[in-house]
Amino acid sequence: MTALVGEAAAEVRDAERATTRRARPPRPVGRNRRGRRLRYTLTVLAFLLPSAVPLVLFVLAPMVAAAWISLTEWNLLAPATWVGLENYANLLSDPETADVFLHTLSYIVGYLPLVYVGGLAIALALNTALRGRTLLRGVYFLPVITSWIVVALVWRWLLNPSNGVVNTVLGWFGIDGPGWWTDPAWAMPSIILASAWKDLGFVMVILLAGLQAIDPELLDAARVDGAGWWRRLFSVTLPLLSPATFFVIVISLINGFQVFDQVYAMTGGGPGGATQVVVQQIYDLTFRYGKAGEASALSWLLFVVILAVTVIQIRGQRRWVNYG
Amino acid sequence: MRTTALAGVGLVAATALALTGCAAGDSSGEADGPVTISYTNFISNGGNEENLQAIVDAFEAENPDITVEVTTLPYADYGTALQTDLAAGTVSDVFDIEYANFAQYQANGVLAEIDVEDPSVYRQSVLEAYQADGAQYALPSSFSTVVLFYNRDLFEAAGVDTPTGDWTWSDEQAAAEQLTDEGAGVWGDHQPVSFYEFYKVLAQNGGEFLDADGTAVAFNTPEGVEAAEWLVGKSGTTMPTIEDGQGTPDFDTNLFLDGKLAMLHTGIWMFGAFADAPFGWDIAVEPGNAQQASALFSNAVGVSAGSEHQDAAATFAEFLTSSDVMVQTRLDAGWELPATSDEAALESYLTLGNPENRQAVFDSLEQVALPPVVAQGQQEMQDIMTEELVEAQAGRKTVQEALDSAEERINAAIGG
Amino acid sequence: MAETTLAPTTARAGGIRRRTEAARAAGARSVLLHVVIVVGALAMFFPFYWTVVTSLTPGSGLSSTPSLIPADASLEAYQRLFADLPFARVVGNSLLLATVTTLAQLVTSATAAYAFSRLPFRGRTVVFGIYLATMMIPLQVLVVPLFAELRAWGLVDTYLGALLPTLAAAFGVFLLRQAMNQVPFELDEAAALDGAGHFRIFWTVILPNIRPALATLAVFAFMGSWNSFLWPLVVLRSPELQTLPVALAGLQGQYTTQWDIVMAGSVVSILPMLAVYLFAQKYVIQGVANTGLK
Repeated sequence: MTALVGEAAAEVRDAERATTRRARPPRPVGRNRRGRRLRYTLTVLAFLLPSAVPLVLFVLAPMVAAAWISLTEWNLLAPATWVGLENYANLLSDPETADVFLHTLSYIVGYLPLVYVGGLAIALALNTALRGRTLLRGVYFLPVITSWIVVALVWRWLLNPSNGVVNTVLGWFGIDGPGWWTDPAWAMPSIILASAWKDLGFVMVILLAGLQAIDPELLDAARVDGAGWWRRLFSVTLPLLSPATFFVIVISLINGFQVFDQVYAMTGGGPGGATQVVVQQIYDLTFRYGKAGEASALSWLLFVVILAVTVIQIRGQRRWVNYG
Repeated sequence: MRTTALAGVGLVAATALALTGCAAGDSSGEADGPVTISYTNFISNGGNEENLQAIVDAFEAENPDITVEVTTLPYADYGTALQTDLAAGTVSDVFDIEYANFAQYQANGVLAEIDVEDPSVYRQSVLEAYQADGAQYALPSSFSTVVLFYNRDLFEAAGVDTPTGDWTWSDEQAAAEQLTDEGAGVWGDHQPVSFYEFYKVLAQNGGEFLDADGTAVAFNTPEGVEAAEWLVGKSGTTMPTIEDGQGTPDFDTNLFLDGKLAMLHTGIWMFGAFADAPFGWDIAVEPGNAQQASALFSNAVGVSAGSEHQDAAATFAEFLTSSDVMVQTRLDAGWELPATSDEAALESYLTLGNPENRQAVFDSLEQVALPPVVAQGQQEMQDIMTEELVEAQAGRKTVQEALDSAEERINAAIGG
Repeated sequence: MAETTLAPTTARAGGIRRRTEAARAAGARSVLLHVVIVVGALAMFFPFYWTVVTSLTPGSGLSSTPSLIPADASLEAYQRLFADLPFARVVGNSLLLATVTTLAQLVTSATAAYAFSRLPFRGRTVVFGIYLATMMIPLQVLVVPLFAELRAWGLVDTYLGALLPTLAAAFGVFLLRQAMNQVPFELDEAAALDGAGHFRIFWTVILPNIRPALATLAVFAFMGSWNSFLWPLVVLRSPELQTLPVALAGLQGQYTTQWDIVMAGSVVSILPMLAVYLFAQKYVIQGVANTGLK
């Protein structure tokens, strides 16, 4: 940030400084120090327990149970037998495990930039004084609320290799369109395209809420100082949007590693296993093949990977996320 | 109180209950006093719910002490729900199973033995399919076969003789080539590329899917290669390719209904869907090669080994699968065929009209091929077979490579 | 905030700013922007339109390219949908579950987010990490143990059994925490100087300032419940307790699918969601205007 952006930059610096100050709570008035501490503890509990109780009972407890199942061989029919770490050993030595993680990773690498840049562009456009923007926002949100059954059908048809709209249009330009979801090399790009299309509205809504929270005066100040559109975007809007951006990236990565619905609906993991992602494998192992132990072990491997990725992001957020 | 204790220990306890099969309640049947049993099914889903209810009503009228609670689930999700129920021990007293899963459930002790009061009313070949070690573990509720459907108008327009029960693969091939008209978008033939078609064409070619022990495959032979080539070779010549949409849900039946498909291999359950087709159509027994062999599909009901009312459940299961009311309801509704030995009742089926050649349904039963079943890894075996065949169909592997790979992977999945 | 430095454009000038911007936007760039946005919107809208068209075409097949304007449109699929399904009941169930879930998540998420944003305590980062961790394991693997748990509690096949696991979600906590972190701490301090405790600050200072985020969460919580499939399928068995997605899945038979009815069901399932979104969207925009902050 340089002097060129002037007041806006000053605002941003102010915001940054606020971050360092933010750990200061309003101090409650009271005489007895011990009583005050007890009251504060009770206050914290009162705010936390409504969410903590259901999460412990209905998510953490089943997670612990899944960890235990992962140490057994269990076909869901006969009683489980204890096998220790065998499921993990099998998974780590099975080349298919690396495959399903690689497929998942390739999904994320294709999906995330597409959906973030697209969602940001739409959010920025719809945040201006555009005629009919209320209607347009609704239209851009439509895919988000449409079920994957429908979206998958539509996209399989749009991307139909022989008479689909996309290949027909490509044909006008003399391009021989690929086999899309029927071709192992193009099946994942097909899923990425459909997913980005469906989730654009989700990212747009989060970023729009973030944009709405930005004080327009900051942008005006920057404009008065002669900053162009791109300059304002990179020096004012994006830094102030960073909490929303951070949220979108963390959530998209957590969800991206667990991509399932679209794969299940569009390719079922095919062709030839080219789109077999981790959760599709977990689902198949549990409900198709009756290998609950192996499925639970794979789930815990996935958990560890997602946790590591998220922890890295949270550690790194200080460098680029500005809280006002 | 168990609830509080459980909340404290967390869920491990609850799962332990399920894992150790706590659900196995008293299996001693007390038939005294009014009981309520539960029945979970998929067979009535999609249009036959009322017909099932009619059978249940008749049962309750005959057995005033037994009330049946019916739950109907969509076929696509039935397996998921059933797996969860079996795992947690909440499975219904009576529940639907498919023939392909029978061996697996039986081997794991999920199914109770059923004392059949009158086995003679069942079609014996179908009844025997659900026996193990001389005992009955499930009762067949219906059966159906796969036949060759054909569009008579297309055959007549092209001047090709319509299929008969004497046809072989080469007759079918020749007709399919003559009928395929790319300009008009008409295809000669359609046969799904899948496990269920492969085990059958293998039998038609004199091959065996599994070895004598049922623990390793036996299809990787010259007969097997020829059968697989017959199956995947149609794609792109007389049958649409995957790129054309082949293999997507309902693609083949819709193509047939649109009048753009001359021959179609599918089950007799499609009679109803094709009834209003705007062209003439009929059926024939599927052509064989070395011999004839038709696929037999069958659904059945089992009684849960953990049921507290096994006697009542068995009584209901028998009524549901063999009563006259059931036979009549199924025949009247054109639902799948009842597995009855009463040929006279089935006579009426022959006169129901479209398609005319209903006799072919019974002819196809003369030589049936049951799907190969294994005690573990059934679904994996099926999925691997289909996946490898599709690889060959798409040209990414040769037929021989696909069978080699399928052999290796399936043996690993079912051998242990 | 440093308002004195922003003298040229005061808060009152919002209207003027808009107008000058609109005047400038008359340029070619604005036209281009409109074209791109509208074309994009058409692309977004098209699949929905196609869903409607398919639902209006009796006996729709997917083998041939559907015509963009239905030749003989009919409401037959909708009539059969309403005749085949206990529709009022199914929609009622879904509405009930989605509404309770949404309200519960707004409460549980907002309170937790306040703790993570405003109430420092030892191990707060770790606890927040555990909250986030609950999002990192796929539901598919939790279904079996969760089902066993609720069975032990006697809650299988009850509304409560369907609801309990959805009352709190880390997604909402995270979303609202991000929003609360953006609310200036000066506001809390000012309120605290006036003698406000945490509950009052939460209610009168924080919540009004994060309305866009609350509205966003409401949409996603409602949507999550409205579209959820696996858990309701497993835990709710009685026909009178079934939810819309499970009932719609039942329209697909063992051997064939009637696409016109499936699509009609999709349209019916989308409409209430759309209403919630449009309602919430209004709130997102008003939310900022009403705070009196900006």
